[in-house]
Amino acid sequence: MAEPMTSNDASPGELVQITDKAFRVHTRAYADADIFRLEMTRIFGRTWVFVGHVSEIPDAGDYKTSYIGTQPVIVTRGKEGGIHVLVNRCVHRGAVVAREASGRADHFTCPYHGWVYGIDGRLQGIGLRRDGGYPDDYEAPQGLFTVPRVETYRGLIFASFNAAIGSLDSHLGAAKLAIDRKFNRSPQGEIELRSRPFVGRYRGNWKFQAENIVDGYHFLFVHAGFAKLQGRYGDSTGDFGVHKGGSVDEMRKIRGRGFAYGCRQGHGMLLTPAPSHMSLLEGEFGPYFRELRDQHGDDEFQWIAGSAAASIFPNLGLIHHQLRTWRPVSVDETEVTVYPFSLKGAPDAYNEGWLHSEERFYGPAGYGQADDVEIFAVNQQGLQGDAQPWLVLDRALYNEERVDQDDRRGNHYGETPQRAIWRGWKTLMSQP
Amino acid sequence: MKREMQTADIEQFLYREARLLDEVRLEEWLKLFTPDGIYWVPIDDSLPRNRTVSIIYDDALRREERVYRAMSVECASQSPPSRTVHFINNVMVDRVDGETFEVRSNQLIYELRAGDYRQVGLGQMRPIVATVDHRIVLSDGEPKIALKKILLLDRNGALGNLTFIF
Repeated sequence: MAEPMTSNDASPGELVQITDKAFRVHTRAYADADIFRLEMTRIFGRTWVFVGHVSEIPDAGDYKTSYIGTQPVIVTRGKEGGIHVLVNRCVHRGAVVAREASGRADHFTCPYHGWVYGIDGRLQGIGLRRDGGYPDDYEAPQGLFTVPRVETYRGLIFASFNAAIGSLDSHLGAAKLAIDRKFNRSPQGEIELRSRPFVGRYRGNWKFQAENIVDGYHFLFVHAGFAKLQGRYGDSTGDFGVHKGGSVDEMRKIRGRGFAYGCRQGHGMLLTPAPSHMSLLEGEFGPYFRELRDQHGDDEFQWIAGSAAASIFPNLGLIHHQLRTWRPVSVDETEVTVYPFSLKGAPDAYNEGWLHSEERFYGPAGYGQADDVEIFAVNQQGLQGDAQPWLVLDRALYNEERVDQDDRRGNHYGETPQRAIWRGWKTLMSQP
Repeated sequence: MKREMQTADIEQFLYREARLLDEVRLEEWLKLFTPDGIYWVPIDDSLPRNRTVSIIYDDALRREERVYRAMSVECASQSPPSRTVHFINNVMVDRVDGETFEVRSNQLIYELRAGDYRQVGLGQMRPIVATVDHRIVLSDGEPKIALKKILLLDRNGALGNLTFIF
């Protein structure tokens, strides 16, 4: 184990120390504002970042505003159907040009001096251009800065400032499995964002949320109160069979049938088969489940009907029937948005059941998420005690398997997914 | 048996409800609702129920569960628990239909979690500003809440911990 670092100029990659027996992360990786600034260029400025879903911008002229790290962007659907990701900053003097969260437009006008941009970002007009302020042959800038790479996977839109980055497909790697299994619950294989999202903020670093969404270890501690609630109320208040098992022990048993997975690209996953997938075929939504079973086969069906959670590095989460994104605001402030999704082609009552289950566990008054974000703030505060600055992420390291080149598979209650996130972090932060 | 309520009676009823919440007499608060009453904190009240999540949408059983959690379940977000003080203003009876009263009030609710004020999230006063619609019905002469809808001023933005009853 390395000595605790005292100098700020050490290579940031060394903030993650990995040996066969120990996996340690330095406090500065969560708490140092200089490291945060470096993350914005080395991670968010360099890799694929989730910016939205196609169902948010179905038609030409539709747009939503989003972020790549701390850079504000506009995600638009162009006239020819393509997706543009544009930096939301007038090229003239830098004001924000799109101030709505979403909408439809055929152009964006800067509120400061009236510069006008098309939905593809190209400059269309300059306020009072012909009043003598500019020569006739004035070479105006092209338009809004266009993020050079935009690709989608099953409707998820990712963008990258790094023109030379490899394909989104190779970036997602094995994490496509979690996306596929979730979206394959739709007989058409497609999801839609129709609900309003839950939006929250917490006083803590963004990586707490990235780690926590795939943390099988915390559930039975942070959510022990929720397990007690489940023991008493079960499905009667709208859980919709999402949290199976009436006690901490029972929940532990069901979850233990699954496994954790760490992708070399920095993604973590928890995958668990359905505990009683055959009974689904005869239940209230039997015809729907039988259709899925016929489409995908018995073996794959038990995973599709099971549970999958993923933390897709750096800013996308999938769990339950929701997409979640976390936006780094500063080293110790993060915004989290939970977008419940519906499955195209699934029965309305099935989608509605899930929607109201999300409502029970998530959101600012929910019985789960509020406890998680409370812990994130407590975690950030605890890091002030940095006399011994290394965090310990050794759980189930000793029996983790290396699979498919450099991915890892481990115990559901281990820290395999968290280590994957930190491996991805280390790789990017080590490159100047 | 009372068949009508004056504005002053309605105000007193709202104050009484607020006092039960501030004094954490939640079992008594539950009894203020009709059996099919709804306690609702929407994000977007223009969308139908099957289309969007709400911050809270509680029928009788969900209300009972919320109270049970507040009173009997240990959880990080309410350890220590919230204290509240409600201020109720601008009470207007918008509509009277037989024994049903549609009442609007503005509410300013201060919330604080006591305990070691040096700990993050504790000892910090937070204002919650809302327009509140009550549908009050007379049941055997007793006023009961058929609907309490809390329209938070900041419902579209990033919200903090709302795991207490307000």
